[in-house]
Formats: sequence, C-alpha cells, structure tokens
Amino acid sequence: MELQDTYYNKSEYVETASGNKVSRQTVLCGSQNIVLHGKVIVQSDAIIRGDLANVKTGRFCIISKGSVIRPPFKKFSKGVAFFPLQMGDHVFVGENTVVNAAVVGSYVYIGKNVVIGRRCVLKDCCMIEDNSVLAAETVVPSFARFSGSPARLVTNLPEAMPDLMTEFTKSYYQHFLPTTVN
Amino acid sequence: MAYLTQPDYVKYVCSCGQLKPITSLYFCRHCLKIRCGFCICHEVDSHHCANCLENMPSSEARLKKNRCSSCFDCPSCFHTLSTRATMAAQRQAQDPAGGDAKVENKQTKKMYYLSCFNCRWTSRDVGIPDQSVASGGWPERTNPFLSRYNQLLDYYKAIAQQEKQEKLERERKKFAIRGKYITLTDKTGLTGAMARNIAGLPTSESGSSAAIASFTPSQASAEVDELPDDVYTKDVNLKQITSMSQRLASPEWQPSSVSRLHPLAKLLSIKRSQRCRVCDHNLTKPEYNPGSIKFKIELLAYYHVPEVKIISYETVKPGEKSALLLKLTNPTGHEMQIQLMQPEDLPPVEEREEPKSIEKSLEKSLNLEKDTSSYRAIERVAELGSSSRVTAPEATLTLAQRDDAAEYDDDAQQDTSDFILWRKSNKLALRLEVTTDAAATPGAPARAALALQYSYRNTVPPAPAAPQQAHHTLYTTLLLDLGVVSG
Repeated sequence: MELQDTYYNKSEYVETASGNKVSRQTVLCGSQNIVLHGKVIVQSDAIIRGDLANVKTGRFCIISKGSVIRPPFKKFSKGVAFFPLQMGDHVFVGENTVVNAAVVGSYVYIGKNVVIGRRCVLKDCCMIEDNSVLAAETVVPSFARFSGSPARLVTNLPEAMPDLMTEFTKSYYQHFLPTTVN
Repeated sequence: MAYLTQPDYVKYVCSCGQLKPITSLYFCRHCLKIRCGFCICHEVDSHHCANCLENMPSSEARLKKNRCSSCFDCPSCFHTLSTRATMAAQRQAQDPAGGDAKVENKQTKKMYYLSCFNCRWTSRDVGIPDQSVASGGWPERTNPFLSRYNQLLDYYKAIAQQEKQEKLERERKKFAIRGKYITLTDKTGLTGAMARNIAGLPTSESGSSAAIASFTPSQASAEVDELPDDVYTKDVNLKQITSMSQRLASPEWQPSSVSRLHPLAKLLSIKRSQRCRVCDHNLTKPEYNPGSIKFKIELLAYYHVPEVKIISYETVKPGEKSALLLKLTNPTGHEMQIQLMQPEDLPPVEEREEPKSIEKSLEKSLNLEKDTSSYRAIERVAELGSSSRVTAPEATLTLAQRDDAAEYDDDAQQDTSDFILWRKSNKLALRLEVTTDAAATPGAPARAALALQYSYRNTVPPAPAAPQQAHHTLYTTLLLDLGVVSG
C-alpha cells in the first residue's frame, strides 16, 4: 500500500535550510552536539540527549513521536564515560522507542515501543520489530530481522532492503506535509 | 519498506506458481523469467561470524563445526556473551614464616571473564577460571563419546568406500571390452592391483575391510542404573534444572543441571549467492567482505519488473463495481510500455524448446546430465482463485525510465486520459474499476487477479555465437488483495 499523507501544524515545526523538520515540542539537550544531516524529521515529544555525547544522524532519518535518542555509557573502574551515537542515512525510529545504541547503520528500521540496549551495534540494513527489547551490547548483523525480548533473529530481509528503506524514508518525507491554512 | 511492515497486498506469480511479494522475487535476465527462493539454487559463498565479522574459509569452518573461535553465546539465554575485565589480586606468599605485612606481595593483574548482559550469567557461575587474555584461551571441552564417534565415522566411511568400489566394479564389468589384451586404461583391474603391489601399498579392499572387521556394533543392555532412593521424595529445585532448549543447544553434553552450562561458541553466518536452476546464471552474488551490504550481481524482480502498489480501494461488494487506485513504477533504465490484461488472455507459456540437443546428448554421454525433474517443478501455473475482475483499459501506457534526479522536479502532471490520475517521472497512478462476482460470499477475502504485458530491454551483452534480441515483450500475473467482500 502506498503511504498516506501525514499532516503537521506548520507553526509547530521548524524547517532548516537543509530540510530538517524539527518539532518545537521536543527536548534537544546540548543542541550544539546534535548534527542532523539534512531532511531529518524529529517529531513532537522526542528527546535527543546531546548533552551526554555527540549525536549524529545521516540524511532522511525519521525520529518519531516520543522516542528517546540517548548516547550509551560504559562503566570503567574510574566512573562512567559516554560514547557518541552515530546514525546512518535512511533510518526510521518508531514511536516511544529508546535508542541507546553505539552505532546505528544505514537503512535501519526500528519499530515502535522498542528498547535498544546500551552500546548495541546495528549494522546496515537491519530491522527491529515493534515491542522488542534488544539486550545491551547486541550486534545486529546486516539483513537480519530481530524480534522479541530479548530480541533474536527471526528471519532475513530481502536483498533490496537499501532501496526499500530509501524509498520509504523519502516518501515519508514527501508525505509529511504542513496543514494548509484555510 | 512498506513491504516489511504491512501484509503483502500485491503478490506476483513466480514462474514456479508461487505467489510472492515483489521483494522476495528474482528476475533471471537470461531466461527472462521471474524466479523465487523456492525455484533457485542457494549456494554458500563464505562463512563469517556475525558478531566479530571475521571471515573463515569453508574448510576451517567445517573443522570448527561452523562455530566462531572467539565469540560465545550465553548457554542460559542465548544472547552473545561479553568479555569483562576485573583486577584480580595475586597473592604470592614469599615467606610463610615471617609475620610481616610486607611478606605478602600483592600484584594486581587484569583478568577476564565472560558475562551475559541480558540474564547476568557469568562464566564464574559454573567455575570456569578467569583468563589472562581478553579473547580466546577458553577451555575447550571434549565430547565424552569422541572415540566412539570417530569409530562410527571410520566405519561408515569404510562402508561408503566399499560400496563405491563395488559400484565401480559393476560398471567396469558392464562396459568391459572383450579384447585380447589388457589395456592400460583398465585402471581398477589387474594393472591397478599390480601398480599398488609394486608401490607396496595395501590393496584397496583390505584397507576398508579392516575398519569394518574391527568394528564392534553397539549393544543394547537391560542393565540400567538404579534410580536414587530419594527421587520421589526430594524437592525439585527448578532453578537448578536446565530447560529443554538449553540442553539441546549443546547436544554433546545435554547438561541437566544449571551448574554444568558452558559458554556456547557462536554459530557462523554465511554469505549466500543464488543461481537460476534452469540456466545456471547467478541471480545474486554478495561482495566478499562480511560487513558489506553490496552485491556484485543483484538480479531482483524489484529492479526489472514493473512494480504495482495499491494506493486505495473501495470496499468490494458482491455483484457491484468498486474503484481501485493503483500506482505503477518502472524500475528499469529504459522506457517501458505496459498494457493491463486479464490473466486468462495471456499467451500460454511455450514449451521449453530444446535447441541444444547436441549438447544434451553430449552431456548424457558424459553422465553430466542435469536433473531435469526440477524443471517440472519450476514450470507450474498458479491457482489464483480471484472473485473480482479488474477492468483493464485497452490503451498502452508508456512509463519513462527511472531517473534519480527526477525527485527534484516539480509536482505531478495531470494526464489527458481519464483513467490516469497523475504521472510523475517513472511513476503513474491509475484509476480502475473492479467488478465482483455476484456469487462472492460476504466475508471471504476479496482478491483480484491482473496481468501485465510489459516491454523489457535486455542489457545483457549478447554472446557472439547467438545474437540475442534486446527488446522483449514479457508478461506477469499478479494478485491484488482488496480486503474482504462486504455484505
């Protein structure tokens, strides 16, 4: 099925020169440490914790309502250290999802109500189904579809995954329209 | 992407009769047919560990039982184990007689143990000593039945060898040339035996028969250990007993108690290439690098066959007409002519012509004949079982080639014809009408079959011997899922 248009209130969103659409109802901590690489949508009530460490996203990322992007920490003998969080291009993060990963590759689909544990590595082209919990330090290989709690490999993804994700995030961006003022 | 998060609304008919979404189909450029995972050949290209991305040659992988040597899974919850470091104090009593505080020389050393971040299992739980190196060096357990295993293996290898020998012997007898002279090509006959004799090797039969003769078959015995006296009275501590899946994860030991769980070496993943079973050409071939997601060859239907998506549809009612909006996409780099048809109007699939009869007979004589039974399985017609018909407009639709720069163009153009809703570079939206049988039962799934005739330009460089034509007219059938028939 073709994606349906989603409408947003024009006064709620800020659109940058590079095409990022960021809601005003978000919590962007340490915004100097957050880099959105263009055509990224950050929807209302999302939290990006740039105050802990750098957060970088690629192009055409979608961060849905109520999701939390939070750099992971690691315990050392002398306290804790936070690590930067990198996200590739064409990444979808579903609603109410917490992402604590160290690396999220390109063409990654993360469903809604998912918890990605500390320092997980999500390789390019993978998918985490809705309502999954990824235990800390999990490596999700390419073309893997993970599900459950703790999330495990359930099946493989088709070879055309990069193009499917590219098409999905691009059409999501195109269908993300401001409500026309009557 | 919608393909992965939604049910498959549009299914294509593979040449083997399976109904699959376009994302799980392949397109052989040489047969010009749609193939699916069911009717192609899957081959293992390379082994690698999905966790540490280390490549392993296939011979080594077989030796290590397809398991990684440095990564482990938790035996309790099957999550990947992580290595944790601790500072361990090594006490070296230098002078036990003296009561001085300085006597005890404290040295701290980094020690490593395995820990599961999901269920908190650690290698210390089962008494595996900490290691001084971060990776590797974990004690390997040997199978308690290893010698018996090897015995059995040798025995069956010998039997296989013997049977092969017997078969060869029979073949040789069948085709024995009734000549006067013993020829040198008579490999397994007298000359072969003589050659072995001269070289001082044992004759081929004696070697295998020795393994067979010395083999002692297993014997069932009625003597079984008595059950402990408290087996019915002792309280069962379920926390100490392993689950079925935990036991089966290590089939050699099958631990019944939690204290005997050992880390499981992680199973290797593979890179897989796929091949058309009819023409033996590669359909997909991944790059060698385990971390790479690119393909050297990637003949997917998604890149060659026009893609049909449902934009929206009206609820289907028996005996009535309803509207249906479809989106057609041309994924190829060439202009495409598409015509909608009824599935029954498709030209019948022509019989497999066999122009290579000489080659066939050659193959037959060389005993290289391919298993043709697969062809029969491949060419099958799908049962569509659709209750609705899509009224197909007569006109031929022209779809422009795929153009990645076109997304920066302006908005959709309106088309003059009445059934085309809009056009946008290589995409096109159609307004169609669906007629449903009056006999369709309400509540049954509403499906509509549709056939496409499309022009395809073959970009395979033609072989010098057999110049191919570049333009083809191909057909594909698809089944649209339109929800359920309403009452």
